[in-house]
Amino acid sequence: DAPDVLPANAEDRKAAQAMSSLDNRASESDAPKKEVDLKALNDAMKNLGVAQEQKSSSAGAAKKTEAAKKPLVKVDQVDVALLVEQLDISKTKATELLRAHDADAVKAMTTWVTAAV
Amino acid sequence: MDIRQLRPADIPHVQQTNITNLPENYFCKYYLYHALSWPQLSFVAVDILQKYYRLTVDLQVSRPKKTPYDAPKIVGYVLAKMEEDPADGIQHGHITSLSVMRTHRRLGLAEKLMRQSPLALYRDTLGFKQGGVEEKYYADGEDAYSMKMDLDYLRDEALDEESDEEDTVGKDE
Amino acid sequence: MATSQQLPSKEQALFRHVVQNYESKQYKKGLKAADQILRKNPNHGDTQAMKALILSSQNKSEEAFELCKVALKNAMKSQVCWHVYGLLYRGQRNYEEALKAYRFALRLDPDSAQIQRDLAMLQVQMRDYDGYVQSRQTILQARPQSRQNWTALAIGLQLSGDLAGAEDVLHRFEESLREPPNRKDLEHAEAVLYKNTIIAERGEYERALEHVNSVLKSALDKTAVMEMQAEYLLKLERKEDAVKAYTKLLKRNPERRDYYAGLEKASGLDRSNSGDHEKLGQLYHGWAEQSERTDAPRRIPLDFKAGDAFKQHADKYLRRLFKKGIPSTFANIKQLYADPEKKAAILEVAETCLSEETQLNGDAESHETQTNGSVNGVQTKKSKTDPATTWQLSVNYFLAQHYDYHLSRDLTKARERIDRAIELNPSKTDYTFHMTGARIHKHAGNVAEASKAMNEAREMDLKDRYINTKCAKYQLRNHQNSDAISTMGLFTRKEAVGGPLGDLLDMQCVWFVTEDGESYLRQNNLALALKRFKSVYDIFIAWEEDQFDFHSFSLRKGMIRTYVDMIRWEDRLREHPFFTRAALSAIRIYCLLFDRPALAKKGAQLNGESAENAAERKKAAKKAKKDAEKAEAERKLAAAKKANPKAADEEETAKKEDRDPQGTEAFKTAGEKPLEEAMKYLLPLLELSPNNIDGQIAGFEVYIRRRKYLPALKCLLATRRLQPDHPQSHYQSLRFRRALEEDKTTLDPKVNAVIQDNFISQIAD
Repeated sequence: DAPDVLPANAEDRKAAQAMSSLDNRASESDAPKKEVDLKALNDAMKNLGVAQEQKSSSAGAAKKTEAAKKPLVKVDQVDVALLVEQLDISKTKATELLRAHDADAVKAMTTWVTAAV
Repeated sequence: MDIRQLRPADIPHVQQTNITNLPENYFCKYYLYHALSWPQLSFVAVDILQKYYRLTVDLQVSRPKKTPYDAPKIVGYVLAKMEEDPADGIQHGHITSLSVMRTHRRLGLAEKLMRQSPLALYRDTLGFKQGGVEEKYYADGEDAYSMKMDLDYLRDEALDEESDEEDTVGKDE
Repeated sequence: MATSQQLPSKEQALFRHVVQNYESKQYKKGLKAADQILRKNPNHGDTQAMKALILSSQNKSEEAFELCKVALKNAMKSQVCWHVYGLLYRGQRNYEEALKAYRFALRLDPDSAQIQRDLAMLQVQMRDYDGYVQSRQTILQARPQSRQNWTALAIGLQLSGDLAGAEDVLHRFEESLREPPNRKDLEHAEAVLYKNTIIAERGEYERALEHVNSVLKSALDKTAVMEMQAEYLLKLERKEDAVKAYTKLLKRNPERRDYYAGLEKASGLDRSNSGDHEKLGQLYHGWAEQSERTDAPRRIPLDFKAGDAFKQHADKYLRRLFKKGIPSTFANIKQLYADPEKKAAILEVAETCLSEETQLNGDAESHETQTNGSVNGVQTKKSKTDPATTWQLSVNYFLAQHYDYHLSRDLTKARERIDRAIELNPSKTDYTFHMTGARIHKHAGNVAEASKAMNEAREMDLKDRYINTKCAKYQLRNHQNSDAISTMGLFTRKEAVGGPLGDLLDMQCVWFVTEDGESYLRQNNLALALKRFKSVYDIFIAWEEDQFDFHSFSLRKGMIRTYVDMIRWEDRLREHPFFTRAALSAIRIYCLLFDRPALAKKGAQLNGESAENAAERKKAAKKAKKDAEKAEAERKLAAAKKANPKAADEEETAKKEDRDPQGTEAFKTAGEKPLEEAMKYLLPLLELSPNNIDGQIAGFEVYIRRRKYLPALKCLLATRRLQPDHPQSHYQSLRFRRALEEDKTTLDPKVNAVIQDNFISQIAD
């Protein structure tokens, strides 16, 4: 049967029905279309997995080499706390900001304050 | 004036145009439902805004009223949908709502907007038919506006266009 | 199943029914079945959890949470309980907790597709794209036969910035197809175009063009395909083909500005080069010739033409519309007034047209004599406005609006012209001219007269909601809040809970709520004003929440391009001026509350209210109460008349009843930490509308009160950059300096250094 509360007029009723079916949890059909070739799909997916692993590992590698070139800047936790307090930003953001400015709190805060919007 | 397909970002203003002009109103989600189900069927008429930079940089104006974030001002819209579950199995569409701001009437906007939806329907090779009065359809007890459009000429047009891609003669519609 | 509590087989079947009932939203049946299980198995956790889920769907979220906690105690290791716990949190928009609960549920049942899908939806809602991609990969692995799962992974990759990965996923699925799908397969047709947008987003226009050409025949969204072709051709500088493509598009829709812009570019014409103006003029003339009904090719040349050419064109353009009697003529050209030369030229044309009144009169008379022979002709003539009147009405109306416009204001002349137009108006129901008359009063600063005049205009056509809306707005400008809501109530749904205001809130009528708030703010009723701005804030939360269901819905429907468009719009939702306007006022009130904490205790009335005002306010409150009672009675009557009245309705009413209609309680609470509340409005402003100078000014006001000097300075510097001569930028600089002096000794030396370098040494005043 229909949803519990129904509006009085036809237009609202249609709208309500449409809205209530938006999050339909039971409607995902399992039957694949006829042109779908499950074996081919499985192969495609295997390749996909490989491709993405490769890509992510190569991306990871790229990141690593970049990181190797530019070692992670060590930041003073006192400065992190200072930025969090003074700039009213999150700890993650404060750490990022300091790292991007050679752990120099004055430089980091200056960039933040003067950044063109 | 600019007439184009409705985009999700237009919805707040479409909603405002609707509640300004008409007694049948809907919340944002119902507009989204249209825009995300049949994006090709709903259209808006947009008031062209002078670009911000023209007001502040190019020309020194005493009072730059516009901010750079002014949303497109919707002065008319047509909101259309397909029947989700046609009883007779024949695909057809509905105009859910159509309105043009009083300030922008008599420009033929309603007609231009109305033309776009059925055109899109045919171009999407679907059907569009509706007839008969739906009694007591609206909250105030008024019967729904009923319409039936003979759209064969549109289908011919669409087919024509496909068969003759190099057609350069403008058709008088 | 990891459930530790086994039910007898009969109850197991019942439990499956509970789940089915929930999924098909048959909540009453579901509750009944759940209770039946619980009678024999009172501690069955999964059943309690499902019951809780149903209760939350009926908006009984407190009860639901209580029950779900009991369920978890009974069945700590049940994935059902944890899943429901997550769903309940997600219903309350506590996404972090929901995420934790889903993850716990998944650990207990790693193969559950439903939990995995719910987790994915939550991740995309939270814009955790990396997490979303991971979830979608898992889902795809479990069910590769469903195309949705491939598309969803591609969406995740695209949104996370991996365009190549996204294209690859879509491509692989297509490759695996045994045969091309049916022509009417919407999902396929859309997925193909979606792939094309990704290729274009990668900047590979050559390949995008090839691809779109290859799918031309099978594509269903013809307009989109043609737009793609035209855009790529233009980007690739294949100008001849681009001209053809835009020409074709313009034949479909000759009112689309983008197409004309494309055509200009493709034709190698440049508006900023006056040498091109003649060719541009010819181009538009050609399009104007195609149809009498199109406006764009007639209107656009006014944007680029200058000097005499402009004047000639303006003359032709305006005369054509005056003759037709189109009331929106001024609205259509006022954008040109930013250029003083164009403004002057337009005025000259219009004044000339005005002086031609008599001459045209003669024309019209001779015209009438000609048609006198036919009886039909005379009849139609009489039912229509004669050309001379149409002309005079148009010109007078145009000039009234011209003299009322802020860039060309002369209100005496505006009044003269609108009075003449009203005199000429042959219709008793056409309120257009009366409406402008009211507007002129408003611009003269006479809001009382304006409101009165607008109400008279409204009474000319009681069936028209537009003029009704205008009237309510003018009433709010004139402090007639209860009149305004009664006016609005003429068109709201009678059965709406909470009367007209309840309906307007339901229907997210942002303009009214904002204007009502601003009206209360002008009347120093800060509590009610703040209540309204909070309502706008809540509408935006609803709009943000609205996208949730579409994360799954759009995959089912397959309309991917518009879904991605929606995601991007939602990301910048609060950039909308509707939000900015309400937020700026709310922030102002919070700052006032901080400066004068006594306000919160005194019931939100600012000092200086006159006895007269107070009496007026009491009267209005009394009337509002009476109106509310009347509306409630009407609503009950309407509800009683409904097709199927439900007991649930009364419950809903109780739930929606506003226990703090004046906002006084909320205002007291707001007074406890006003600046913290202000930040909720401020952060979206600064993040999404940083170029809005009012937002930066408001930002300074909040931060300086919080003694956050660097964010205050950041706002101040932004204000100075946006408009160096803004009066606030000077005033705020002075206050910044004074505040610093007070706090000099306690300021961190590093902060001091930044301020020295960027303020003291830079800003001289």
